[in-house]
Amino acid sequence: MSMQAINMTINGEKIQALVEPRTHLGDFLRDNQRLTGTHLGCEHGVCGACTVLIEGVPSRACIAYAVACDGQQVRTIEGFEEDEVMAQLRTAFSRFHALQCGFCTPGMLISARDVVLRCPTADAHEVRVQMSGNLCRCTGYQGIINAIVSVIESRRAANADRVEPVATAARAPLPSFQAVANQASAAASVAPATASPTAAAATPSDTANKKPGTRIEDAFEVDHPIDVVWEAFADMPKVAACLPGAEITEHTPTSIKGKISTKFGPMRAAFVGSAALERNAATHAGSIRGAGTDSLSNSRARGDITYALSDAGNGRTRVAVAIEYSLQGPLAQFSRGGLVKEFVKKMVADFAANLNARLGAGSSASGAPGEAVAAPAGAAPMSPMDAAGVFWRWMVSTIKSWF
Amino acid sequence: MEEHGKPGQGIGARVKRKEDSRHLHGRGQYVSDMVIPGQLEVAFLRSPIAHGRIRAIQKPAGSEGAVFVRADMPEAKSIISTSSIPSYRVSAQPPLAEGKVRFVGEAMAMCVAKTRAEAEDLAERIVLDIEELPPLVESMAALREKNVRVHEEWEDNVFVTLSVDNDFDRLSKQATVVVKREVELSRQAMVPMEGKAVVAHWDERTDQLVMYYSTQTPHVVRTGIAQFLGLSEGQVRIIAPDVGGGFGYKVIVHPEELSVAWLAWKFRKPFRWIEDRREHLVSGANARQHKYQLTGYADDKGRLLALDAEITIDGGAYSNWPFTIGLEPGQAIGNLPGPYDFRGYRCTTRCVATNKPGFMPYRGVARTGVCFAMELLMEGIARAVDRDPYDVRMDNLVRPEQMPYDNVMKKHYDSGDYPQALTTAREKLGIEAWRARQEKGEADGRKIGIGFASYCEQSAHGTSVFASWGLPLVPGFDQAAVKMTPDGGLEVRVGIHSHGQGMETTLAQMAHEILGIDVSRIHVTHGDTGTTPYSTGTYASRSIVMAGGATANACRELVPRIVKIGAHLLGCKESEARFEKGVGVIAPDGKQMSLKSICEAWYLRPDKAPLDVDRRGLECSVSYKPERDSGAFSYASHAVAVAVDTDTGQVEILDYVIVEDCGTVVNPMVVEGQTIGGIAQGIGTAMYEEIEYDVNGQPNASTLADYTLPGPTEVPHMRIFHMETPSPYTEFGIKGMGEGGAIAPPAAIFNAVNDALRSTGVEVNRTPLTPHRLLEAIERARSGTLPKREAA
Amino acid sequence: MKAAAFEYQKPTELSAVVSALRASNGEAKLFGGGQSLGPMLNLRLARPKKILDVSTLPALKVIEDLGTAWRIGGGVTHAMLEDRVLVGCEPLAQVARGIAYRAIRNRGTVGGSLAHADPAADWPLTMPALGATIVIAGVSGERRVAAESFMTAAFGTALAEDEIIAAVEVPKISADARWGYWKFCRKTGEFPEASAAVLLDPQRKVARVWIGALNGAPQSLNALAVDIAQRGFLAISDLSVSQALEPVLGKIDAAQRRLHQTAVRRAVQLATA
Repeated sequence: MSMQAINMTINGEKIQALVEPRTHLGDFLRDNQRLTGTHLGCEHGVCGACTVLIEGVPSRACIAYAVACDGQQVRTIEGFEEDEVMAQLRTAFSRFHALQCGFCTPGMLISARDVVLRCPTADAHEVRVQMSGNLCRCTGYQGIINAIVSVIESRRAANADRVEPVATAARAPLPSFQAVANQASAAASVAPATASPTAAAATPSDTANKKPGTRIEDAFEVDHPIDVVWEAFADMPKVAACLPGAEITEHTPTSIKGKISTKFGPMRAAFVGSAALERNAATHAGSIRGAGTDSLSNSRARGDITYALSDAGNGRTRVAVAIEYSLQGPLAQFSRGGLVKEFVKKMVADFAANLNARLGAGSSASGAPGEAVAAPAGAAPMSPMDAAGVFWRWMVSTIKSWF
Repeated sequence: MEEHGKPGQGIGARVKRKEDSRHLHGRGQYVSDMVIPGQLEVAFLRSPIAHGRIRAIQKPAGSEGAVFVRADMPEAKSIISTSSIPSYRVSAQPPLAEGKVRFVGEAMAMCVAKTRAEAEDLAERIVLDIEELPPLVESMAALREKNVRVHEEWEDNVFVTLSVDNDFDRLSKQATVVVKREVELSRQAMVPMEGKAVVAHWDERTDQLVMYYSTQTPHVVRTGIAQFLGLSEGQVRIIAPDVGGGFGYKVIVHPEELSVAWLAWKFRKPFRWIEDRREHLVSGANARQHKYQLTGYADDKGRLLALDAEITIDGGAYSNWPFTIGLEPGQAIGNLPGPYDFRGYRCTTRCVATNKPGFMPYRGVARTGVCFAMELLMEGIARAVDRDPYDVRMDNLVRPEQMPYDNVMKKHYDSGDYPQALTTAREKLGIEAWRARQEKGEADGRKIGIGFASYCEQSAHGTSVFASWGLPLVPGFDQAAVKMTPDGGLEVRVGIHSHGQGMETTLAQMAHEILGIDVSRIHVTHGDTGTTPYSTGTYASRSIVMAGGATANACRELVPRIVKIGAHLLGCKESEARFEKGVGVIAPDGKQMSLKSICEAWYLRPDKAPLDVDRRGLECSVSYKPERDSGAFSYASHAVAVAVDTDTGQVEILDYVIVEDCGTVVNPMVVEGQTIGGIAQGIGTAMYEEIEYDVNGQPNASTLADYTLPGPTEVPHMRIFHMETPSPYTEFGIKGMGEGGAIAPPAAIFNAVNDALRSTGVEVNRTPLTPHRLLEAIERARSGTLPKREAA
Repeated sequence: MKAAAFEYQKPTELSAVVSALRASNGEAKLFGGGQSLGPMLNLRLARPKKILDVSTLPALKVIEDLGTAWRIGGGVTHAMLEDRVLVGCEPLAQVARGIAYRAIRNRGTVGGSLAHADPAADWPLTMPALGATIVIAGVSGERRVAAESFMTAAFGTALAEDEIIAAVEVPKISADARWGYWKFCRKTGEFPEASAAVLLDPQRKVARVWIGALNGAPQSLNALAVDIAQRGFLAISDLSVSQALEPVLGKIDAAQRRLHQTAVRRAVQLATA
């Protein structure tokens, strides 16, 4: 644990301290400086209980890091004893019963003071909008809004130079015009991303999430007869390696062990596990059924990849690939499942593309990109891979090396 | 709006809160603010899966003495809550998972380090080996399940089944109209801004386990901790300082709290655990999830004759201590009839075990659900008989001349005028203007709807009622200890806990009402088992009735003792002197003796006190419960106007009117604050808050970005109107009212939305009414695939 | 809920940032305002070995008038844009005002938001709709990428691991240009469930309609934009919007489809009213 030295001015007082970089400002103020008026309600920037002033403006102490406030001014609820607006707000908060348990109150007051000073003409609705980043579970907000409005109004009454809202002029009608189609803006040094036509494959039950894992299907054709393709699929480790981010540590004809490293924006996970490989020559179908654990987050992924080959005529073969996956543990406990699904879908598309390339079809485009569907399925693992294409590049080079 | 309130500082006055100042200056004292020298931080490793058998929990190398699992703490007993309900099945909840994990988020291991971050680092290095078992995620499926059980020793997955049949067959046969409705509420978390929090240490000087504990019920928690650790109660002291919201979450002994208590007891060192928001949302998703299938039997005017109901409660994995999982079905079956007068009732309520966190009593316990179900049924009956729902409700509400009224479940409604509340709400909402606006249509195409809901709320229900729910711990008398100070002030000590309800102020108002001492000189102490008299604590809208009644009675008991000393000092006969609030003691000749002088004589100058002075002195502890402890019933009607955007599914609340009656009001400001705050939570239930579980039992909300709490723009400005019908049974006629606000909003809002969408055929019935859910219903109606509602 | 350990460095020059990025081999993460990264760090969803704090880097804080465009430094906060109406780029203030909450806007940055590439965020939708160019700094100097091709997927961008957004150049719109921006949030300040941006600039013959809050990157509805330029709001019917959205939305439920259609209609309505 490496500590870094910082200087800070807190409530007008210069302090020096040693901090671990990961210590957020809220913990630093409370545990190190013993300024316990700053409360922590969520520690992910939503509830507003920890709002303090950093360099004079309201900020979340829980997602600022103390080390990053080196050389900066911080003001907490303990630092407003001489402040006129805060005094008015305190009186009004009591008068309008703007607090009950008091836990949100310090953050609420610091935000309220900013609103009073920044929005001197705000009405009740505007005050509600401006205060929307501070949550209170007790009061139903009415007392808080009434209190803030009363301070704004009394200050406005006291200040003669009342600001009148600017009247908006009526706009001239919009003329019709011939727009230049496809106006690309300035020189782009990368090609525009292919519009992802398979985006958003949510089903009606998508948000209900009541399904045994998520299923994604894709299919493509390759320019080789079915026997050749079937033969190519026999090299299971290589097929498995078409999974972006996969590293295989050992394998037998029926099993592989390894790791899938995934990266989704700033999130990363590494699922270590194993998969069973199956092949049925009679039906030209096979599967890779795997499960792994990301040890740090204790999250688990399961995934079944199945493929089936069929004769598409003229010496071509249709390859149908399906993946069913599920995620459990902390990484699964978020509401924006659509994003993960989109991500896995891209993974499948890349898998299909990699297979296609591996089989020599020559094109990275899947044969039927529009066919991706999501439907209830049974089990699953797998996680995000690198959306920015790092794995794709890696995969292409891997596949090239096969031939 | 005119402010409701009486002058002065006594009952009915709008006294500003004594507790405000410390919070406004950031000087509140919450558990997480406490520091004991040498304190270590605790983090829990929680189950990533919903149901599984623990094969191994592998501690990281070198973590000896810093990582603990169930096997390390044999001295701590599992939390077992018994019940006298015959169908009740006992579940043992270990402080850390033992043998099996039964929900995502169940604590499996406990890590200790100098900082919380380091404790979390340790937790990451633990390797879990869990054999997954099929998770029971949905209550109906768990009910049908033959092979998989949450608790293997049971024969199925049913915690409790309660049934009642009061004259159902006979009365239902008389009906000419039969109306069915199904409603459902989603699973919620209570989300106090401060989660659970505990700092535990062994105080060598007093030889006690001292716990700073974020709880609503310090005395009850002491009993629990002592019991589950095998200590005598005298060895345990619970201090609940400022508590950042409770709402029911903090009335029970949670396994984490027991685990930290064990650490402090075992190692004689201070330990702190502060529940973080992710822990709260994942392991504290424990409320509201009910399903109702109702059939109403009415005459052709819509007069309800009989009600048939099936209620299924998704109880989660464990029964809590001491309220038990039986509380929820007990309240559901008992309160479903609500404020209505009918005599035929058949109901079966099942509370089913699932692989989710165990149910806990959230503000409004079960009544939010029963009000939602009943009020949607009332609306359905009105539609079936083609009458205005207002008229149908008016015909069905218990009438004032029927009071006191024993309903079909033998609930004893003590006083009130239920129809008047509804009529006033309708009038204050301005029904005519809204109907005209609805008729005319909005310029932006949104649809206007108006909805109502009425309920009654059993508050301060006591011994007999709780005993009927089979709890292992039943409230009896509440006590207050009052003591005059040498300078003529007053100290009041109570065993309840105030965490936002303002009872440091309202109890002072009640003492002021008797003794006339300035509220600023009355000091109310609560939240410490070491200094306060016993009470089961603050829950079930009881504290102002119970602790307030005790405080008033204790103050009254001091009066003759004061008079005796005062008369002596004035040199008049005790029988001729009289006590005058705010003054002291007055002699027949008008001479006065101040309380200050009287107190001085007792404490500082006993040489001046009479020889036969009352030796009990100027302090006493008095216990109280209402003459009849079946509850003082508060009630209210809520009226809502909404605009529904049929292209987004968004519902805007345009006006919200409450007409409430909680008997004699102690402090109107506090009553309004409790009501409006409760309604904000009810709006959360109605429109925003939900933790959904996927098929594996994974919750989809672990942050406040996933779990939507209503903010300032989601809660409308509300207009509240008071009625005051005293309870015949309580001190001053006061009724409790802390939960009521959270009861009616889903019912009123859904009725308003269904009114707005009546022409489209859409009828919504599942909370929360997210825009997506509403838009789905609207789209189904647009495409003509709306299921036809069964009507008879 | 405390972050996993990380090293912390606060370079004082852009060149130092870039070389530190390169040296870190993908293990460093830029910290702009930290309003998305901070929560992910605390939740331990993000666990970089090193944080490179660029939140106060002066070179990234510049707002400069280039004549036909405004150059906005990557470290400019949403609040800075909210508080200062840039002539010719008035939409920026309007969009900035609607992002999250003031405390977030005080720290969150334009560059950070674009680089984070949350599909529902405001700048990844606004910048392509305004025809902006992303100026990217790397070890070999600056390169420029059209905003419309910058974001490639949910949390995916054209940035290499050793690159940083130096600035965004936003072309000025004509005085009579129309801007329509509409998003649907369940709650004030939350990420939207649907969003759309419309720019109609007759003088420059520019018409753009973009839709955001998809599962992937925002998408352009080009043909619809051209049609709107010619016919105004008349070009907007349930059918035309639904057809325009078809290739973008894929298979989603009717309610989500309706919501996205509504977003497009209302943004167009705001622009053409």
